Amino acid sequence: MSRQASGLWAWFLQRATAIYLMLFILYVLQHMIFHAPADHAAWQAWVAQPLVSLGGLLFFASLLLHAWVGIRDVIIDYVHPTAIRVSVLTVIGFVLVGCAAWVLQIIILAQIA
Amino acid sequence: MKFSVYRYNPETDNEPYMQAFEVEARQGMMLRDALMAIQEQDESFTFRHSCGEGVCGSDGVNVNGSNKLACITPLSELKETVEVRPFPGRPVIRDLVVDMSQFYAQYKQVDPWLIRKEPLPEQEILQSPEERDKLDGLYECIMCGCCSTACPSFWWNPDKFLGPQALLSACRFLADSRDQASEERLNSLEGPYKLFRCHTIMNCVEACPKGLNPTKAIGHIKEIMLKDAI
Repeated sequence: MSRQASGLWAWFLQRATAIYLMLFILYVLQHMIFHAPADHAAWQAWVAQPLVSLGGLLFFASLLLHAWVGIRDVIIDYVHPTAIRVSVLTVIGFVLVGCAAWVLQIIILAQIA
Repeated sequence: MKFSVYRYNPETDNEPYMQAFEVEARQGMMLRDALMAIQEQDESFTFRHSCGEGVCGSDGVNVNGSNKLACITPLSELKETVEVRPFPGRPVIRDLVVDMSQFYAQYKQVDPWLIRKEPLPEQEILQSPEERDKLDGLYECIMCGCCSTACPSFWWNPDKFLGPQALLSACRFLADSRDQASEERLNSLEGPYKLFRCHTIMNCVEACPKGLNPTKAIGHIKEIMLKDAI
């Protein structure tokens, strides 16, 4: 590892997560089209299935990582002054980690309920 | 045929301006011929050119918004009024002449020469026809700069992103069966800047007057890197 931010690893992560995002979205879409849940209870039961909730967790993890690499790229491209760049990256990092915590909270609460 | 040409002489002008010229277009006339005709009308007009046949790569300019080699751009392909400007994003020295030092510095960074670790043999190092084929589409670059100066990633980070031209050259040596420094070459390209600022915008492919594909070469480097990393 060099002291630089990552290049190859970030690039690979962006592509790998993109593939998973696409597959999971297609899966959810086909489920909504062909096996649309009749009511809220049916929807809850579907989401509570272990594989579906695990897939959902992975989906949000991928989404947040994908967003991080993408936003980081935009900031490296356009925001040059170090102080502003570090601040913006930090704020975005916090927002994304906050989103992750929120997703966990929702899914864990759904599991308990 | 009407032309609008970028003029700037830092010694006398406060700001760059566009100047109108009219040139009588003959059949088969290239843009370079028109620029020479303009120079006859106004001797102070400055642009680089040399071989006149797309080999030396001196007369790259921005024509109607895209980077082209003036000497192989037929006037018949251009819409009037033809707007001729220097390469975007480069410091202007005078009129169409820009400072390309950063572009050459980036080229130098990829060590654009064969590196052998084994002692050199008495005779030439042989390549199979298949190994030689891998260099096609990579070695033909004439370093005119049309690609790198058309690349937004190079506009934003010209000091850190190597640009399509240097990366095409990096790929040319990575693809060479006689080169023995792949590991060092790949290591030097790691990090978010030198290689990975490329977002496959592909302006370079559109701009290259030799029909080369730097984007494909960059993708190939990423592929080799990934293979090497896992």
